Order: sequence, then structure tokens, then C-alpha cells
Amino acid sequence: MSKNLLAIRHLEEKQIAEILNIAAEFKETVTGGGSIAHGRSRTVGLLFFENSTRTRVAFEQATHYLNFNIVNFSGTGSSMSKGETLKDTILTLRHERIDGLVMRHKSSGAPVLAAQYFDGPVVNAGDGQHEHPTQAIGDALTILERKGDIQGLRVAIVGDVEHSRVARSNAWLLHKLGAEVRFVGPRTLMPSHTGKLPGTVYYDLATGIADSDVVMCLRLQKERMSDGLLSSVAEYARMYQINRSTLRYADPEAIVMHPGPLNRGIELDDAVADGEMSCVTDQLTNGVFAKTAALEWVFREEMAEVTL
Amino acid sequence: MRTILKNGRILDPSSEMDIVGSVAIEAAQVVDVGDDVREADGDEVYDCTGLWISPGLVDMHAHLREPGESHRETIKTGTQAAAAGGYTTVCMMPNTTPALDNPALVDFIFDRAASPEAGGVFVAPVGALTTGNEGRQISDLSALKRAGIVAASDEGAPIQNANVMRRAMEFCLQLDLPIMAHCEDVALTGDGCMNEGAMSAMLGMKGMPRSAEEVAIMRNCLLSLNTGCPVHILRVSTWGAVEMVRQAKYLGAPVTCDVSPHHFSLTEDSVGEFDVNFKTTPPLRTEIDVELVQQALQDGTIDCIASDHSPYAPYEVHTPFDEAPFGMAGLESAVAATLTNLTQRGVLSPLETIRQLSTTPAQILRLEAGTLKPGATPVAQVTVIDPNMEWTFDATHTFSKGKNSPFDGMQMQGKVVLTFCGGEIYRDGSFGSERYLI
Repeated sequence: MSKNLLAIRHLEEKQIAEILNIAAEFKETVTGGGSIAHGRSRTVGLLFFENSTRTRVAFEQATHYLNFNIVNFSGTGSSMSKGETLKDTILTLRHERIDGLVMRHKSSGAPVLAAQYFDGPVVNAGDGQHEHPTQAIGDALTILERKGDIQGLRVAIVGDVEHSRVARSNAWLLHKLGAEVRFVGPRTLMPSHTGKLPGTVYYDLATGIADSDVVMCLRLQKERMSDGLLSSVAEYARMYQINRSTLRYADPEAIVMHPGPLNRGIELDDAVADGEMSCVTDQLTNGVFAKTAALEWVFREEMAEVTL
Repeated sequence: MRTILKNGRILDPSSEMDIVGSVAIEAAQVVDVGDDVREADGDEVYDCTGLWISPGLVDMHAHLREPGESHRETIKTGTQAAAAGGYTTVCMMPNTTPALDNPALVDFIFDRAASPEAGGVFVAPVGALTTGNEGRQISDLSALKRAGIVAASDEGAPIQNANVMRRAMEFCLQLDLPIMAHCEDVALTGDGCMNEGAMSAMLGMKGMPRSAEEVAIMRNCLLSLNTGCPVHILRVSTWGAVEMVRQAKYLGAPVTCDVSPHHFSLTEDSVGEFDVNFKTTPPLRTEIDVELVQQALQDGTIDCIASDHSPYAPYEVHTPFDEAPFGMAGLESAVAATLTNLTQRGVLSPLETIRQLSTTPAQILRLEAGTLKPGATPVAQVTVIDPNMEWTFDATHTFSKGKNSPFDGMQMQGKVVLTFCGGEIYRDGSFGSERYLI
């Protein structure tokens, strides 16, 4: 069985710590001018069935650091648009001797299916509304840099929790590492049953972020309006925007995070987005090292075996 | 020469019979039932000691997929699956391609079912309530009825417009044709693909709220109450749905309902890591629903058990969960799942089990079936069940083309061993060569 990174939900605390350690180590080496390149390369398929420039660029950058080769595959302009099933696409790549897959897909669970038909590591780069593990690893690295530890922190995840894979991956990771997780947002954007998710639900921003050490904003998709889940973006901003005034409820030392792309003036205002409490740019850099560490982690054992 | 099913536990709910005895079949008819059936030289005798002998089972709800979707199932493979599952009558749902909305298609189905290669069981076609199953124009139901449909249904494409449903009920009342209703408010289910609950929240999957089913059941019950048209609610899945039906019956509405084995056996937790074999509509619900659905089976609020056999080609279900079609193959696992999860656990007595699998469905649809009384059915329809056989259900070894079963690999207690329909048609995992259907 190949090692996969499909969901933070599947990982043990120890495994999360392993990946985080690799990420921190890599960041130190690379930013210090060193190299983490492997002598022997691997070919990784970047399968983006759903568009994403940012995540794709971060994974490409990660493969460059590791001296891995990449092949790009996107949902449109491939056989997927000719009606090929996901199963056959995965089998094709397997027999074209691709060593590992990085996969983004609009369907929750699609990477789980892919892993059943592929015989090398699969890394989930975001599946539907399920998980986005490398985002959570990068975010955890950011929190560790700013706060020193995750254990015991109060983290409020604010916004469209229902539709957010970032929320789910972050909640699992932070919960497993001992943080108190809170989900904050309007009822229409909150799962109706949260019994199997690791967090407490708050519908009111002030109580939800009260005394929190980390305020994590989620991106608001404009199409929620047409789905009838929001009456107006302005109303959302009025009730849930993180700005100087609402941030008063959080801990004075609280940091503010956002997975991007930002809707300035909606999820947070300029003052917070550009303020010293904002970690948005750190999240981008750490996202690259999280992805580098994820690839290293899924390939490490197998590559060690080869060199033996 | 007669065929004697000897020394079995005879369970015939149509006469409240639960005795140890024998059943004699001669010239494709049940001729004698009881504890004093004589045996003559030359009779073909099956020792049924320790086995149940019941009226042939009746499935109110199966998708045989022909015409138009023979990659999923054909009438041949579907009737073979039915016979292997213990059913001597199988109702066939109208959401085929094209929909079963004209008499020529009914003739086609009867022709296919009569083929010597088919499973040798009766196919009871259910007509499309509206043309094309589109929920707008009522079909030519009188012509369909003359052609032989036993009910009309909006299965697969639930009628959303309450006024269309009201008019459909008025037509059906006049024609003395029961309606089988697929109860789902599709605005509420939206593009949901599993129960809206803790599992869908965890998996990041769009949910189908229980209210989508309950609202539609309530509407159809009230329309049935107001028009007086008998309405059979297909496969209820929530405790609220059960409660709606209970209230409607209390108010005097002529409604009945069934439940499918997966809904009284499994919960949303079975979806696990996006397992497409557990995708169906209405979706698998929660533990409290399973518990209260079982209770409703016990107290009679739920009238009977139907398979909701919905086979798909393997390639159609090797997809991400949200892209897969809704439905599960069920004809060959329904009886075992019922025995394992209800009868063996004391939810239903053996006699009640057979009532819900045979006699009641026949009564609701007014079929000449569901009884062992000599001469009461056009030909002998008898099912023999080993209630104690322990076995593992293996979906890859089924007659159905659909291998999409939620019970695949499950330990079962109880198995159909013999299905008679006219002549002997199914025994020991295969079909006999001399079967005949009159």
C-alpha cells in the first residue's frame, strides 16, 4: 500500500507532527540557501480537474525544490471531456508510469477513489467540500511560527463552514493537535449536523471569536447568494467581517488568517488584511513548504527502500 | 405425477396458517396444503424438514430497466434475479427509456417476460402516471390498464406539481388503479447525494434533508385523503415519514407504504469513505430512523417490504460519490436481509415476515398471488426458504447485472432455496430445464 495524504481526518497526531517537522526543516534549509533536492527523481502528475492557479503553482514550486518532475493534466482539454471515467484516467496515468498524483477535484472523495486504482502515492489538493490537507498543514506551520504551540489555543474558523474544505482540514488538524476549535458563521452556511466534526458551533461573531488566539476567515463564494443562502454580501460583511472593531472580542494578541483569494471589504477589511496581525502572506509561503513536505512524506519510505 | 414439498413449516398469511405439513403441486397448480397430504408412488418429493414453505413472494418495486437501459438490467436477468431472490411476481417500475407510458411497451414487457430464457416469474408492469414520466400530462391510463398495468407511478421522477398529482389521483380512482408514489420534494433535495446529517457534514457532501421526503409524503397523504384514491407510498426511510403515514391512516386516508431492506438495516454511517454502493434515494438515514422504521413494521404502520431493486452497470458506479446514480441492486438480497435483520432478531414473526413479503403486497395491488390456497393463483407460486442457513452474500455471483449492493460481503442468516412458479424454476443456485409458465 502506498502512502497517501487524502484527509487530515485520517491521520494520527504523530503523522501530522512528522509532516509539520519536515515542512519546518525544509523551510529552514531552503530559506537558508540550502537544497532539499533528491538525487533520484520521481514523476508526479498534477491532476487539476478543477481550476486553481495558486495551489497548482505552489505544488509546482514544491516539486522543483525536491527535484521531482511533473506532468500536468487538467480536466478540460483531456479525455475527461471526451467522457472517460475517472477510473480510466487514473489507470492510464498509472500505466504511463507516473509515480505519484496530486489531485484537485470538484467531487468530495474523488482522491479516495483515485487511490483505489493508482499504485503510488496520492496527495489530495482539495476535493469538493471535503478536505484540503496541505492548506491545513501550511496554516499549522504559520500558527506554530507565530504562537509557538498549537496545544491549548482557541481557534475560531469564521464564515462559510458548510462549503469549505479548508475549514474541515484545519478543524481536524487543530483538534488533533490539542486546540479548541470553534465554527462561526450564519446558519445557512453552517452544516446542520456537526456531531462528527471536531468543533463547537457559534452563530454570533462576538461570542464565537471571544478570547480566541487565532481567527481564521474563510473565503465567501459569491454564488452562495444565488443559492439563496445569503440575502446580501453587505449583510454578511455587517455580521461576520473581521475588522479592527470586531477583532476587539478576540485575544489582543490574536492573529488573523485567510486561505485566499481575499474578498477585501467582505471577510476582512484592509486594515486587518494588511495589519501586523495578518498572516496571509506567511500562509502562502508556508503553503509551498507544506506541499513540499507532503510530497516528501508520501514518497519517503518508498524512496528509502530503493536506495537500500 | 405430483410434486410434494414435504414436512416443512407452512406459512400462509392469507389463511393465517402456520403449521408443519406438506404442499402438493400437480399440473402447475397447488392442489393440497396441510398436515395430511398424501404421497403416492412416482411423486417427486422434496424434503422440506426445517424449511419454510410460503406463497411465492411479491416484490412491489423493482427496476428491470428494459426497454432502453439494458446495460443495467434486462427483463431476462431481472426476472432471473427475482426468481433467485424468492419472488414469483415482480412489479416493474415505469422509468425506463422511453418511459412505460403506452400500451405497446406493456405488450413488449409481457413478451420479454414470457421468453423461455427469462426467469419464469410474473412481471407486473407499473405504468407511468404522466407521459414521459415528466410530471405534466397524465398518461392514457385506461389504455395502459387494459394492457395490463397493475398500478401507476411517478417513480424516478416524483411529480412536483400538487395539482397534477391531485388530477392523477382522480383519474386513478375512476379507473380503480392504485398509485405508487415516489415522495420527494426535489427543491429540498437539490443536488444532495446522501442524508443531510453528521456524515454528510463530515464528508463535505451535499445532503438531502429528511423534510424533502416527509413534505412530499404529507402532501400525497392529504391528496389521497381528499380524493379517496388509494396511494401506496414507496420506501419510507425516516421516522417522520412513518409518523405522516400513521396520521394519514388514522384520518382514514387509503394509504399504504413499504420499506426497503437497506432502510431497515443500514444507516448513513455505512457510506464510510465515499462508498458508492450505499448511495440511494431516499438516502440511508440514522439509527433512530432504523429503530422506528422497524417498530412501524412491527405495528403495521408500514405494510410491507419491497426491494427497490435498482441495478446499474459497474462502470456507472465507479465514479465519485456525487456523480454516481442513486440506487442499489436488491432482488437477490432482500429476503436474506429481511430474515437476518428483522426475523432473526424477533422484530417480525415468521408468519408476519411472509405476510410483508408476499400476501400484503399482493392485496395492495389486488394480484392473484400471495396465497397457498389451492386454485387461488393462476399457477402454483411457492417459495421455500431455509431460515437458518448461514451464508455470505456475494454480489459478484448474482443473476442481476447490477452488482451495486450494499449487502455485498455481509453475513446472512436465511436463504431462498427453491422458487416454484408454475413448474420448478429455481433451485440450488440455478434454473431447472423443465420449467414452464402458463
